[in-house]
Amino acid sequence: MENVNSVAQALVLMGKYIGAGVCMGIGAIGPGIAEGHVGSKAMEAMARQPEMVGTLTTRMLLSQAVCETTGLYSLLISILILLVV
Amino acid sequence: MKLKLSRRAKIALMIFVGIYIAVGVVNVTFLSRENMSEAFKNIANRWVVKLPFGKGILNRINPFTLIMTWTIMIVIIVAAAKFRKFRLVPDRKQSAIESLLQYVYEVVEGSIPDERFVRPTFYIACTLFVFVAFSNVLGGAVPGVSLSVNSQGDVEKVILFSDLWFSPTADINTNASLAVFVLIISHAFAIKAKGFKAWLKAWFEPNPIMFPMNVVGELAKPISHSLRLFGNVAGGAMLVYMLSYMVKYLFMPVVLWGFFGLFIGLVQALVFTVLAVAYISAALS
Repeated sequence: MENVNSVAQALVLMGKYIGAGVCMGIGAIGPGIAEGHVGSKAMEAMARQPEMVGTLTTRMLLSQAVCETTGLYSLLISILILLVV
Repeated sequence: MKLKLSRRAKIALMIFVGIYIAVGVVNVTFLSRENMSEAFKNIANRWVVKLPFGKGILNRINPFTLIMTWTIMIVIIVAAAKFRKFRLVPDRKQSAIESLLQYVYEVVEGSIPDERFVRPTFYIACTLFVFVAFSNVLGGAVPGVSLSVNSQGDVEKVILFSDLWFSPTADINTNASLAVFVLIISHAFAIKAKGFKAWLKAWFEPNPIMFPMNVVGELAKPISHSLRLFGNVAGGAMLVYMLSYMVKYLFMPVVLWGFFGLFIGLVQALVFTVLAVAYISAALS
């Protein structure tokens, strides 16, 4: 924990921590929903055509990794807020 | 599920567990002297050396990225020189390499519309995949040398074998240069395939009003392409460091290295390659 001497520095610290937490928390909602969508549709497709499981798993992982990107942006921004700024 | 292990595998497993617990106990007694803010203070800092020429952000480099990039390149070149002569009857290593290359070739062949550009795109995709996968796995699953750097960019101490290697893909400069290469290559292929006039005309499709949108769309490609890989690798390395510090390197690291290093690293290398192929094919069509 950093040393705080005045009210202004305490407010800046408070803003940093609240900002990083809110950024990561809200930013995790979108990728969560998107990955759930992709996973559920892939499960439906696998149940319909069990012989395609190998291909579908690879495609599912690929598109989930692409969906994750926005969550990673918010992770990067919250790390920047916490540790760099 | 019932596991059947041979006698040799059982003995090897016992020795591995014994070494693992011994190293864990040593780490607990050795590392627990540092307190937490001391350990996390330097987590986001990188080694910075100022060059004698250049201005602003152009005169600073991270020498560790350069060292790791060249090391990985030399290792890959040596390995490639060893496997240069392919035999007609493959052994195990050769068939693993062949199936990897065949997988990438099928991905490229399925998405590139022009037959002349299948082989060059295949070379680019394979190079990207091998380099990115090797450095992701090295930076996510292999303990090695890394640096502790203060906020001015000077090296405070060298950490030996209690943290992971510093991966060159955990530095945004490597990823950005790879993504810019892909952008330039895709447009060079487009000019070669369609001719300069048709390429120029493609910027004004479907309507001249859309020209700024096309420019922004092209410029957004390398940014998202590079930041995706950077966020995964750098964020994964930080999370592994924090979590394995919290359990004092006793039980977690192997699980975390398996997930963040092998799984996420290989999936992201594949995503990087497939997206590069997709950008090239989108420029060609």
